[in-house]
Amino acid sequence: MKITRSGSIAAVALVGALALAGCSASTTSTTTSSAAPTSKVGLNAIDPSLTGTITAAGSSAQVAAQTGYSAAFSSVATGVTLNYNPEGSGGGRKDFIAGSLDFAGSDAPLSAAETTQAAATFPGGALDIPVYLDGVAIQYNEKDASTLNLSGSTLAKIFAGKITNWSDPAIATDNGGKALPSKKITVVTRSDSSGTMQNLTNYLAGAAGSDWPAGPNLGTLPQITGMDLQKGGAAVATEIAAVDGAIGGVDHSALTSGATVASVDGVKLTNAGIAEAMATGFAIKPNSTPGDLSGAFDYTKIKADTKAYPIPLLSYDIIPATFKDAAKKKLVLAYLEFIASTDGQKAGATKANSVQLPDSILKQVTATLATVK
Amino acid sequence: MTATPATAANGGGPQNTGAPTRLAAMKVSKVGDRVFLGLSTGAAWLIMVILAGVAIFLIIQAAPTIGANWLQNTALQDRTSGFTLGYANFWAYVSPLLFGTIWASFLALLLGAPVAIGIALFISHYAPRRAAGILGYLVDLLAAVPSVVFGLWGIVVIRPFLGPLNDFLNTNFGWIPLFGGSVAQGGSTLLAGAIVLAVMILPIITSISREIFLQTPSLHEEAALALGATRWEMIRLAVLPYARSGIISSVLLGLGRALGETMAIAMIVSPKLIFSFQLLTNDNPTTIAANIANQFGGANLTQANALIATGLLLFVVSFAVNFVARWVVGRASTGPRRRRIPTRKASR
Repeated sequence: MKITRSGSIAAVALVGALALAGCSASTTSTTTSSAAPTSKVGLNAIDPSLTGTITAAGSSAQVAAQTGYSAAFSSVATGVTLNYNPEGSGGGRKDFIAGSLDFAGSDAPLSAAETTQAAATFPGGALDIPVYLDGVAIQYNEKDASTLNLSGSTLAKIFAGKITNWSDPAIATDNGGKALPSKKITVVTRSDSSGTMQNLTNYLAGAAGSDWPAGPNLGTLPQITGMDLQKGGAAVATEIAAVDGAIGGVDHSALTSGATVASVDGVKLTNAGIAEAMATGFAIKPNSTPGDLSGAFDYTKIKADTKAYPIPLLSYDIIPATFKDAAKKKLVLAYLEFIASTDGQKAGATKANSVQLPDSILKQVTATLATVK
Repeated sequence: MTATPATAANGGGPQNTGAPTRLAAMKVSKVGDRVFLGLSTGAAWLIMVILAGVAIFLIIQAAPTIGANWLQNTALQDRTSGFTLGYANFWAYVSPLLFGTIWASFLALLLGAPVAIGIALFISHYAPRRAAGILGYLVDLLAAVPSVVFGLWGIVVIRPFLGPLNDFLNTNFGWIPLFGGSVAQGGSTLLAGAIVLAVMILPIITSISREIFLQTPSLHEEAALALGATRWEMIRLAVLPYARSGIISSVLLGLGRALGETMAIAMIVSPKLIFSFQLLTNDNPTTIAANIANQFGGANLTQANALIATGLLLFVVSFAVNFVARWVVGRASTGPRRRRIPTRKASR
């Protein structure tokens, strides 16, 4: 009894020490940045007197990061609560356009039709704000291949059902000519539509050309015979781990420990590789709404960069360009300004094991947020 | 007069309870009576209003997509949530779903109904009274398990459990189309879904059949036994013929439950919009309810209307099934049932 108690006290002390260490570390970093003649940023910039509830929903990829952002945010502004419902990107955009959310999390920017619909709900339309960067992992279950490399066109042929066996020469070519034993490939994917698949099909369309006839921006992969469909990203990851010969695209943050992940175009999935892809291949291509920050990846440029992981996943928070409620505006903007700070990005990336957005993007986000009325 | 409400409030109106006819009770009207009459009438009307409200909601929401040409509608050809992509109209989209709904429910009935009726017979005619009570209670308890829990059970237990059976059936009986095709390695088969669905409809079929078996006139049963019938012969001669329409109606009510079941199918079965009778593959037809659960989250506003239209069709089908079931029950319960009630209490 005594031993247990002293053990738990030690544990509490340890946690306390770590927390303190964490605090001091972030304090020093913010002090250095506030030493510059700019205004206060990050945790220091949060107004502790803010109170209220932010209602948001959408991308399930963002959910861990949103937990990280909001925990850090409400450590300063203790009266603020974030309710983030990970109902899926499409559902988030739908509910946002219907006017029931303060912001939507989405793995894809608003489509042209949605931009028009949003402009009907919010005067001045809605803005896509990039907040979260991660990658789509190609998880596989093939015991004979401890490491696996797949090119874009091989991947496209597998997902389109044109390559159905692990012994296929195209897979051997991608792996230095070493052929795998014959085994059926089972493609596992999501039965519900997802931003993960949108980012994956964007890559396939951009990198594989005619080998991926289905085109970009698809929320669900076209159904092929034998394809194994599961509800939700976590179920897909579990299914791939359970089925011998399975392969599928999984959101990086949904990967379970021990999952085997393939390299794509010779590049391993690492946070550094994703950051490189963002730096090389991403360009803001705003829609008609002034200040919008939606963008796209140039997969040809990414392919040319041998350090860039070819399937990045960029997720947006979508906010009204004009708020109807001044208090709500103050709250949501303070929260997003925090997300767009280095402190905020660090809090989210640590929690979700994702990648911090580059400063160039964060600067543009801050500039756009300043224009919100 | 002033004392009257107090009497009513004191849990009273003994004169009322003792009133010999309904007419008399109507005449001696007190505040409590009138309030209760109002509340119960209101409740009765409310259910009608809710039902009508649901129907009207479904029709209004569904209307824009049922008659429309889907290929010309940009929202329905939305690639980001592409589940309606490439379908020419509502009927092309919903027909595989309708097929899947009926096929999955049929399989569940095929697997579940005989077991449920067996349990009911055991409880009513074989089990010692005490065991019967406990068993009946346990079966009823099954109805209280949330369907998400059934779904998880299906994923974690039933899928791997069926793996060897799937392989066996496919290898040895693959020439039967039902067991043909290439076996789903992960076990997301319609067979797994139908088995879980069968378990889910057990309670409703068991409890209704049990009540009806218990209502068999004991004179019939005793007569059969007196003529030298064994217990099985007695059941065959006296119980089953008497309960036939009751069994049918309980099965139809079970079908009603199976038609609308959502989460278990959505979680267990790998769904495609196809017509297929194969039970052991990843290419399974899915049900309307499971499809709505899968796709509603990602749907845009028009796609949501399309999903609601499929829901309207399910509403119509379930309504028809329940209507037929009620009609059969109604036919069964005229006559003998009234005389049965005391017998049933005695046999308990």
